[in-house]
Amino acid sequence: MTEVLSGLSGGFSVALMPLNLLLVLIGCFAGTLIGALPGIGPINGVAILLPIAYSLGLPPESALILLAGIYYGAEYGGRISSILLNVPGDAGAVMTTLDGNPMAKRGEAGRALSISAIASFVGGTVAVILISLFGPLLAKFALTFTPADYVALMVFAFASLSSLVGKNQVKTLMGATIGLMLATVGIDANTGVPRYTGGVPDILAGFDFLVVVIGFFGMAELIHLVEQQVSGKLKLLPIGKSFVSWKDLMLIRWTILRSSIIGFVIGVLPGVGASVASAVTYGTEMRMAGKDREKFGTGDPRGLAAPEAGNNAAAGGAMVPMLTLGIPGSGTTAILLGALMLFNVTPGPMMFEQRPEIAWGLIASMYIGNLALLVINLPLVGLFARMLTIPQKYLSPLIAVLAFIGVYSVVGNPFDLFLIIGFGIFGWILRKLEFSLAPIILGFVLGHLFEDNLRRALSISRGDWSILISSWESIGLYLMAALIVVLPVVVSYRNRMRA
Amino acid sequence: MADRLFALCALIAGGIYTFVAFAVIKAPFQYDPLGPETWPQVLAIVFLFCSLYILASPDHIRLTLARSVWLRLLLLVLMLGGYAELYEPLGFVVSTTLFCSLFSIMLGAKRLHAIAFGCTTGIIGYGICDFLLGLNLPEGLLAPLL
Repeated sequence: MTEVLSGLSGGFSVALMPLNLLLVLIGCFAGTLIGALPGIGPINGVAILLPIAYSLGLPPESALILLAGIYYGAEYGGRISSILLNVPGDAGAVMTTLDGNPMAKRGEAGRALSISAIASFVGGTVAVILISLFGPLLAKFALTFTPADYVALMVFAFASLSSLVGKNQVKTLMGATIGLMLATVGIDANTGVPRYTGGVPDILAGFDFLVVVIGFFGMAELIHLVEQQVSGKLKLLPIGKSFVSWKDLMLIRWTILRSSIIGFVIGVLPGVGASVASAVTYGTEMRMAGKDREKFGTGDPRGLAAPEAGNNAAAGGAMVPMLTLGIPGSGTTAILLGALMLFNVTPGPMMFEQRPEIAWGLIASMYIGNLALLVINLPLVGLFARMLTIPQKYLSPLIAVLAFIGVYSVVGNPFDLFLIIGFGIFGWILRKLEFSLAPIILGFVLGHLFEDNLRRALSISRGDWSILISSWESIGLYLMAALIVVLPVVVSYRNRMRA
Repeated sequence: MADRLFALCALIAGGIYTFVAFAVIKAPFQYDPLGPETWPQVLAIVFLFCSLYILASPDHIRLTLARSVWLRLLLLVLMLGGYAELYEPLGFVVSTTLFCSLFSIMLGAKRLHAIAFGCTTGIIGYGICDFLLGLNLPEGLLAPLL
């Protein structure tokens, strides 16, 4: 406990430095703006702004504080377009539309926005408190991990990913494999042998992380937006004067707390993020409502508070495996992880001891950020809602311009501009075929780590594969991986038998 | 149908990947027992298995986009390609002005508005990125002025 307190006080001394404080506020503000844009979610916002944040020449902890601010700011702002436009910014905000938009249609948009702001705040704050308590413990445990245990952990991450994310498990697994395969391109670090470079000198060093991220989450999103823009008009609902009442808060207090904790736990699972958390918390509250369940979907405050608390808590929870294990808990944290690697910081259990200013600085900045978000969101919600009225015809070109600036200013190679267009088209096709893109980026980020640990483990054992199941940690992880894949199948089979 | 087509393409691409993994990648000497080829081999097998599964039981996805939508997406890709091609030779300001104007016209903006929007983005964008943030952007045609 004293360790946590001293870590936190160190963290606050980093986060309260004027530059970092300013960056938290800018990140939260920009994140909310981006999150409020229809169709653009946290992952796209972080992807598009990452290279710019990188090339500003900030120290790593400041850059990470800025990017994390954008991340949970956008997670926060996503509710605005869900409620007022019925257009979720990303998969995590879909559940918010179910009860949020009906409330806005009844003329209670102000009430819906303030309820969701408070639910998001509690979700985010509960998550960051739990991170401060359990992060260091998990990091200490993870220090004992051997390369073979890391392989098991990675298998568990991909198992939970393919079991819980996306409609079609095989497609999720395939997406992750595509990411892993993209990571094999380039010169093999151990032997110096080029792999899959096709003799093109520009990719001898492998695909740049930024190029892959911007391609899949900037350009693919742009093509998708243009496609959507051509079809159909969006109707913006007015905010009005209604506001959250004491009665509302009393009605939803347990909902918010329950959903925050559930959301956090789901966020901690590697690879599974806000979208699953919001769906699970919504479902849980609906089941707990008993006779009232018919009200869900017609504008019930509980149905609005649950997914909002859940997805913000999950966004925080997803930071835990990233900070302690070096394994991202969601697509967006995969990008943050990649950002750390750009700064030559190796994320993982050593970070709490070797780079406490990054680990604790980030955690402390999240306390500040959450509070700042609540404070700027309650009065300024009208301003953010104005973002929804920016015509797409001007917004879409700006996305492309930002993506080009980002890639060019970091990599400085025009070849990469063509690469992001190529990845963008590929990503758009995958989206059309109902692939989820987050597994690809997870696979890409974890590719080298996975392969290196596998090769290291087998070097230690001189080629004996049984080393992979030689410790209790790894056996436990393999069992959990098997369970998480098999359980949903068994449950759905039993439900079908009963029906 | 779309899924089947995709699985077929994936099988071909995966086949090439597999061939390279098993036949081409070889290290002249190596220190670790696995070498550079084992990991791609594992991935290749998983990928081929997934492709075969999708080929056998595809989702029902209809990719029916109106012809005008296809046309616009094609235009978008062409414009992006042109933007990338001209980014260095013309420089950020000119290429961005052109790209933003044309793009917003395609999305239905009035010509005058579009050109005003393009110029503003090009000039203010360069100002913010170059002078304020210190980012490295191509100067191109306007190099003598900047």
